[in-house]
Amino acid sequence: MTPLARYWFGDVALARPYLVLRFVLATLAFDLWLNMVPHAATYGAGGFNVAHFPLFGDFVPRASFYLGVLAFTGVLALSQALYRPHRIALALVAVGYTLGWSCSLLDSLPYHYLLSLYLVCFVFFPMLSARAAFSRSDEPPTGSAWAYVLFCVTTSIVYFYIAAWSASVGQSYALPMMCSGAYLVASLQDRSTTRAVHVAMPLLLGPVVWFHATWPSESWFSFTMLGIAGLVFAPTQVLHVMGRTVTYPARNWLQDPTHGGADERAAKVFYVSLIGLVLAPMVGIFVDLPGVKTGCALTALATLMVMGRQLYLTPRYRPLWRVGSLFGASLALLLTMQTSTARFDFYQSAAIDAERRGDDEAAAVLRDKAERYQR
Amino acid sequence: MSSVPTEPPPPPPSPTLRRRTSLFIGLFVALQFIVPLTYLVRDDPADDRFTWRGATHQTNPACETSATMATVDGSERALAPERLIHPKWVAHLERDRDAVVSAFLRKQCETEGALEVTLTNACGDAEGVREYRLRCGADRASVSARRASR
Repeated sequence: MTPLARYWFGDVALARPYLVLRFVLATLAFDLWLNMVPHAATYGAGGFNVAHFPLFGDFVPRASFYLGVLAFTGVLALSQALYRPHRIALALVAVGYTLGWSCSLLDSLPYHYLLSLYLVCFVFFPMLSARAAFSRSDEPPTGSAWAYVLFCVTTSIVYFYIAAWSASVGQSYALPMMCSGAYLVASLQDRSTTRAVHVAMPLLLGPVVWFHATWPSESWFSFTMLGIAGLVFAPTQVLHVMGRTVTYPARNWLQDPTHGGADERAAKVFYVSLIGLVLAPMVGIFVDLPGVKTGCALTALATLMVMGRQLYLTPRYRPLWRVGSLFGASLALLLTMQTSTARFDFYQSAAIDAERRGDDEAAAVLRDKAERYQR
Repeated sequence: MSSVPTEPPPPPPSPTLRRRTSLFIGLFVALQFIVPLTYLVRDDPADDRFTWRGATHQTNPACETSATMATVDGSERALAPERLIHPKWVAHLERDRDAVVSAFLRKQCETEGALEVTLTNACGDAEGVREYRLRCGADRASVSARRASR
């Protein structure tokens, strides 16, 4: 292998891609529900829209469309974080998320574009189970994970450009440039036998923490980047111990059966999974936001597609865990809406906009809804 | 020791897969380097999407946006952008986002009897007043900007 091939295809501690993927997917889901749902009221107001890309033409996304996309993407992303992710599902999350921000210039946050790039990387991450990423031994498993290296390089490029644009206007660029270099070094740490690299890792985390601690950010950009940095820069052994603790239930409780008739078990798994797939999206009914029911129903269809023949052929419990993760993610959406002000903010904002445009009838209905969810 | 088996890590990619993957990696990385650089050749300086530039450049001038519509009967009436579109879109108009300004003018031209729509951004920066004019009808797509003072 050439040095370049060794860089991309060399070993990394599998705990890193495992944890980074789940952290970003879970953060993304709650970011969608808590921070983007309230903005949905601006979509379609006055029948005006300009999309990021010309392929959308004159399409004007309504609030219901946007909320449906947010519900679909969030529930599917969280379900993938809760159980072993699937490439098709991750590709759908990437498409849904990108559709969400790209359908309108109303969402022009660079952070959302970055998350789309990350999601593209995730599609090619190794689809690891907890048992593959965290072995029984104290030796952390390693393996080739080029998409994880690409993820680190993507992050490095972002900091590089922040530094470059800062330099172009005479601002200090040292900190983002250090962050950029730090990510390139961090992507090598698991294969490096040089002690200096391992000693330097906690020191290299410093610039990233300092940069984001002092970074004015309206979104969850800093929070997400700090979380990612924690996982990318952490010493392998620390990450391994942390991962083993977090994944203890997944590694020890989710066991496939070893006794009983395989056919009978397959039939039971099939029916229970099917019932679960019908019931899980019904959680969306209680969220009481336009478009969410459709979004949740589409997550069930996506999960069905992901399971494919596994649904009716396997005597193993995997379909059940997958449906269970969908259920968990749907319930998380409902709980998030019930315990946050996102739903109130949406209706309040929509009512104000309707009043501004002189639509008193719609404003009254929306005002009623806002009052119902006022906390 | 737990009775739960440890699953093997994923196998390393084959040489063929490595070649294909390398091509994808090359394209993906190249795109990430090229896309931000396209800012340097963009017609609209306010359009800094996908460049990571917005993170370091937040210099929105304080502008006041107003609009007028001339109709076929020879009259001219003032439009209130904040009543026609969401205030977030008005913020884009104030920043002279070409795509949004064009779309706004085209949208107003859909009004029956509209002959010409003008959008004026009176800003407190060095560029002063910017005026965008669109003649409705045959030449709908042409938008002109007149910078009153520089």
